[in-house]
This record gives sequence, structure tokens and C-alpha cells, in this order.
Amino acid sequence: MFLPSVLAASNLVKVQPGLIFWTLVTFVISAVVLKWKAWGPILSLVEEREKQIASSIESAKRERAEAEKLLADQKTAIAEARREAAEMMRRNTQEMEKFREELMAKSRKEAEELKLSARREIDEQKAKAIAEVRSMAVDLAMEVAGKLISERMDDSKQRALAEQFVQGLPLNGTSATGAVRRTA
Amino acid sequence: MRKAMVLFASLFAATAWAAGSEDDVPGYILHHVVDSPYLEIEVPLGNPIKALEFPQWHVPLKANGCAPRMTEHGEEIPGLMDGCLDMSITKHTLMMWLAALLLMATLFIWGNRDKTKLVPRGAGANILEMLVLFVRDELAIKNIGKEEGPRYVPFLLTVFFFILFMNMLGMIPWMATATGNLAVTMALALCTFVITQVAGIRAAGLGGYLKHLTGGVAPWLWPIMIPVEVLGLFTKPFALTMRLFANMLAGHIVFFFLLGLIFLLGHPAVAAVSVPFAFAIFMLELFVAFVQAYVFAMLSALFIGMSVAMGHHHDDHGHDHPEAGPSHDQGKAHHA
Repeated sequence: MFLPSVLAASNLVKVQPGLIFWTLVTFVISAVVLKWKAWGPILSLVEEREKQIASSIESAKRERAEAEKLLADQKTAIAEARREAAEMMRRNTQEMEKFREELMAKSRKEAEELKLSARREIDEQKAKAIAEVRSMAVDLAMEVAGKLISERMDDSKQRALAEQFVQGLPLNGTSATGAVRRTA
Repeated sequence: MRKAMVLFASLFAATAWAAGSEDDVPGYILHHVVDSPYLEIEVPLGNPIKALEFPQWHVPLKANGCAPRMTEHGEEIPGLMDGCLDMSITKHTLMMWLAALLLMATLFIWGNRDKTKLVPRGAGANILEMLVLFVRDELAIKNIGKEEGPRYVPFLLTVFFFILFMNMLGMIPWMATATGNLAVTMALALCTFVITQVAGIRAAGLGGYLKHLTGGVAPWLWPIMIPVEVLGLFTKPFALTMRLFANMLAGHIVFFFLLGLIFLLGHPAVAAVSVPFAFAIFMLELFVAFVQAYVFAMLSALFIGMSVAMGHHHDDHGHDHPEAGPSHDQGKAHHA
């Protein structure tokens, strides 16, 4: 029963040279045709896709970095602007304050000066007036006295007397005579 | 798939039943797996029909080399040693051509997609591209290297898909497994061998290639070294040949023997055990069809990588991979 089987088994390891030839032919033809029609296009497509993906990732990374840089720039610019605005504000207030103070000081000084010059003027005028009044009073008194005691006294004695009288008058003229007040 | 399997099992069970009248299950199985000069279609509950008889083509290598001679088995046409080259088309030749045509058709359908769209659409194009990328990245570039790898990708792809399609064709009822034939696997290994040597000569130059054959030892050791290195060249394709052949053949024989147990033991109840087992083996065979195609392509890439690496020893690609590894384990697991 097993004899034909063993005979057939010897066929298992029998190498047919024809089949080797046909296999080689088929394989080479398949390899050439497939390389030309299938593997070439598929592989180039795949490579192109890989390149595209790689470049997309690369450009996405680059763009992202750029955007981040831009954002950072914007942020610093905004912060800078804010800082500048605050600084300007502060400086403005300071300047305003300074200006106001300066203005105040100046006006105060001016007012002071005005007051001083007014007082000086007043004093001057007062002194002038007083002198005038005095001289007038002397003249008046001399006239009056001359009229009263016309010939008794010589001119120089009369004058000295009148001067003496005038010296006796109060200086500021608060209790001066009506003649003094009128000239002022 | 389960339905297909049950159909498959019942078909062969029925055919084996018909053959069982001669009570020669091993004979039936061996007859099924070996090559034949005709295509038989097995008919359930009937005798197989010789559907196609292939033309015989014998090329005499010497005068009158192919004249039939009388031997103890009857009239026979002499073999190659006696001066007759048998170039006949056989069952396995037909299966191989069918696989090649199917492969080309598949690739033309799913490989020729819109060139302007870079992303594949549909399951077919996606699976195809996944396998192509797998062969390119995991086999070619990992084993051969980044610079030299892409050059051998088309070869490895053809090897992978051609073997895969032949393996898968053998899983279809009425078809045969061309890769379960020693001549086919030998020719495929021969292709890898030639490519490997060409890769070595390309990488190292003819001088470097020949120098590598001396093993880099002192000249007085050459008489020992050169035969060893030359032997080493041929063990690689031999291993490729035997691995693919034995795996594909063994799977089919185991599958048929499990079904044949029904007739060997002579009781229908055996089917309750042997059919599920045969189903499991069938599933395993589907897996092995992929694994063996992968292993063949992977080892081809490995051998090419080793050959390329001897051209530039300073590069670290290729030659530190041990030839053993998952492939051998898978092969052994399958035998066990």
C-alpha cells in the first residue's frame, strides 16, 4: 500500500529544470513589468508624500516659531507702549506740577515785587509829599509869621525859628495839620 | 471564511472518499501536492477530471536525447542527466503564471491611482501601500541601509508579492501551490543569490569581492578559507530554497493528512476531530503564506545587506544582524 506513495514521494524532491527556467522567466518579467508599472509610480508617490509631509511639518514648525516670535514681539511692544504711556503720564503730571509750582512761585514773586515797588513808590511819594508839605508849611508859617511879626525879626532868625517849629512836627504826619493832609 | 473552509473540507473529504476506494490516502495526498503535466479538477463524490493537458516540450541536448526508453517502470523520457531538457509546462507553471497575472492585475487596479492625490483612498490601495512601505522601511532600509536600501526595494517587493500570491493561490480549492515545488523555490533563491552577488560586487568592487572570498586570512590558509567562503555563499540560497519549499509543502500535507485520517481510520466520527483540526491548519496556512513571503523577502534583504556591508566595513548597517532570529523560530514552529 505504501510502495506507490514512496515512489510518489521521490517526485517531491525531484527538481524540474524546465520549471526553474519558467520560474526565472516569469520572475524576471514580473519584476521588470512591476518595476515599470507599479513599484516605480507607487514608490515615487510615497516618497513625494513623505517629502511633502516632512516639508509641511517643517514649515508648520517654522511658522509657529515665527508666530510665537511675533506674539512675543507684540507683547513686548504693548508692554513697552504701556510703560511709555505711564512714564509720559507720570512725567506730564510731574511737569504740570512743576509748571504750576513755578507759575505759582513766579506769580507770588511778581506780586511780592509789585507790592515792594508799590510800597517803595508809596514811601517815595510819601517822603516827597512830606518834604513838599514841610517846605510848604515852612513857607506858610513864614508867610504867616511874617505877616504877624513883620519887622521884628530878620529873615534868618525867622527861618530858624520856623525850622525848629517844623522839626517839632510829628514825622509820619498822622497828627498833622489839615494843610499837610491836603498836599498828600 | 468559515463557510469556505467547510466547503473546502467537504470537497476534499468527498474526493478522498472517492480515492479511498483504492485505499491509498498517502498516495492521493502526494499526488495532489506534486507537480503534474496536466491540470486535474477534483469532483466531489467522483473521479478527478483531467481538465487540461499541457503540451510537452522536450529539448534534446544531444542527438536523439529525448527518445523514450524502456525502464522498469515502463516507457520513460530520459532526464537531464541523460541529455534531455524537459521544458514542459506543468500544473505548477500554470499556477505560477496565474499568480503573476493576478499580482499584476491587483497592482494595476490598486497601484495606478490618481497621481495628483498623494493619499491613498480605499482599502485596496491602503493595504497595498502599507505592504509596500513595510517592505521598504522594515526590510530594505533596516537590513541594507539608508543609502543602498532603496535600490533593492523593487526586487524585494517583487519577491514578497510574487511568493505571497503563489502561496495564497495554493489556499484556493482546485489550485496548487507553486511554492511547494523545489524547482520554483530554487529559481527564486537563485534570483536572490544573483542579486546578492551583484550587490556585493557593486559595493566592494570585483577585487574587494574576490578578496572577501579569501576571508581576509594569510595566503597559506586560502586553500581552507576559499572553499569555506564559497560554501557559505551557497548555503544561503539553499536555506531559502528549503525553507519556503518545506513550509508550503508540509502545511498542505498536514492539512490533507488530517482529513485523510477519516479514511485511514475508517470511521466517519473521526471527522468531528479532524475537520476542526484541518480548519485550524488551514488558518495557520493562511498566516504562513504571509510569513513565508515575509521571511523570504526579509532573508533576501539580509543577505543583500551583508553583501553590501562587506563593501564598506565601517558602516554599521546590515552585517550585525544574526541570520537566525524570528524567521527561524517561525519556520520551526510551523514544522512542529
